[in-house]
Amino acid sequence: MNAVQRVAISTSAVALVLAIWQLSGSLHWIDPLLLPPPSEVLRTTVDLLTNGYRQVSLWQHIWISVLRASVAFVAAIVVGIPVGLAMGLSPLVSAVLEPFVQFLRPLPKIALIPLTVVWFGIDEGSKFFLIFISCFLSVIVSAAAAAAMVSKNRLRAAQTLGANRYQLFTRVVFPNALPEIFTGVRLSIGIGWTSLIAAELVAANSGLGWMVMNAGTYLRTDVVMLGILLLGGIGYLFDLALVLLQRTLVPWAGRDT
Amino acid sequence: MTIQNFLKKCAALAALTLGVAHISAVYAEDIPSEVRFAWAGGPRVWVLGQIDKSFDKAFGTNVRWIPFATGADVLSLFAAKEIDIARFGSSPAVAGITRKLPIEIIGIPEVIATSERLIGRKSKNINSIKDIEGKTVAYPPNSTAQYALELAIKVNHLDKSKIRLVGLKPADQVAAWKRGDIDAAYVWGPFTQQFEADGGHEIFVTKQLQKDGFLIYNNFVVRKEFADKYPQLVVKFLRTYQQKVDEYKKDPDGSAQLIAKHLDIPFESARSVLSGLEYPSNIEQLSPAYLGNGATTPNSGIAKAAKDTANFLAETGDVRKSDIPDSFAAAINTSYLKQAVSK
Repeated sequence: MNAVQRVAISTSAVALVLAIWQLSGSLHWIDPLLLPPPSEVLRTTVDLLTNGYRQVSLWQHIWISVLRASVAFVAAIVVGIPVGLAMGLSPLVSAVLEPFVQFLRPLPKIALIPLTVVWFGIDEGSKFFLIFISCFLSVIVSAAAAAAMVSKNRLRAAQTLGANRYQLFTRVVFPNALPEIFTGVRLSIGIGWTSLIAAELVAANSGLGWMVMNAGTYLRTDVVMLGILLLGGIGYLFDLALVLLQRTLVPWAGRDT
Repeated sequence: MTIQNFLKKCAALAALTLGVAHISAVYAEDIPSEVRFAWAGGPRVWVLGQIDKSFDKAFGTNVRWIPFATGADVLSLFAAKEIDIARFGSSPAVAGITRKLPIEIIGIPEVIATSERLIGRKSKNINSIKDIEGKTVAYPPNSTAQYALELAIKVNHLDKSKIRLVGLKPADQVAAWKRGDIDAAYVWGPFTQQFEADGGHEIFVTKQLQKDGFLIYNNFVVRKEFADKYPQLVVKFLRTYQQKVDEYKKDPDGSAQLIAKHLDIPFESARSVLSGLEYPSNIEQLSPAYLGNGATTPNSGIAKAAKDTANFLAETGDVRKSDIPDSFAAAINTSYLKQAVSK
């Protein structure tokens, strides 16, 4: 299967699902209240683009959510990767941090919502924290695993060639771990984006996650559906951007022999 | 559908095909195997009927009480056909009707008077509703309290852009109040009493909106399919509820004690919520001030209040203007009330 065929098949699959979805509404198989057809979602999109949702324009909802998530992602990556690498390289650091990381990582972050208001109040702090914490822990784990997985033979080879500890890290460990770290970051960002809804449950007045939840309370399933499509689409774009970044920054990924 | 339900249906079907259980099939049409009520878990008069099972006795079948957290859940439960009768706030019910959910308003058990109030912080010099300009005010999203707050802002001609409004669930409001993040909150008991005990005092009550012609109420709403199939059960429901209200009015403190004990909450908070509501009788509800008698329904107080609520929700952007019906009379069914009062 070549690239053109692949795209053609994917496009037809999507078109087919859209067509069935539309038919389900047009032929009244399903009450449009329960599943608004694409035509109604389109109508809602036009409405929200011109009038906004709850006095805030649709672009602003998208922008604020992307901003909240991006800030938290960047912070999680900037803090998480060094901590993870340190854990992967130093048994001492690992022994100290491991219990906390392993306890917090599988914890459902929604359970933290009641505490976030108490700790961080009702401003952006609590939203940042919820996205950050869910992203941060999986960045740490994947960075630690990536650093620990660097082949011992390579390290020994570099040492025989006279590399010092600094050179070992910059020339061997880091380039070897980077492709793994990228994969970990991609997964973490997926998790972080998921927690956007949880984050915007806390005293929000704007954002896509809030829009979906608020529209749900008024049974505006058309707005909910639009929000879901946007959340999914933006998540996809985030991932795509990372794949492109990975190709430029670590072209050696997957060419290991 | 629960497993029991499913099994019952399978059993009924099997019996029917065998042609031996003709009698039980007829019986199943007259009375459902259970009637499902949606309740918020708070201290309300109909809980008396949960304690002594008078609804179960009146129906001759089981009543299942399905809990919900906000009016929004009720709409989803109705859409999924998981409940038959619900008691919840006016604004979510109106939102459901504009979305063409097949439901009907059958009664107005409670008019909100002093049970929902705006509490301001004394240390921030919030002494009247005018003082909330420039301050942070919390409200529970999609609730009657939110609607009351927005109306209070409107009728008092306050500048909404100067007020920072934050949607917070009541328990989160308590946390935000303790941290000093909010200066005022529009909410119900027992939270209002908690704020008053912690440096707050009352600056507005929902009853004050009545003089401006705004009635905020909780309604009994029924799933239309259920009511069409079992009209007599709906009538029995309204009659039994009236008996519970009479019981409460005869002995408010005793009833509050019973309810507080049953729900495991402090007596004082049960009493303050129960006494903060007004209870129009079934006969009063048939007057034009409330639902009207069918002929007067299009111009009745509730039909007008529902329309006001819908227009208001359209203004805030929560419902679509084009979804609002010309009149809410079509969604109000007074025939059950009329049968309930005529013996």
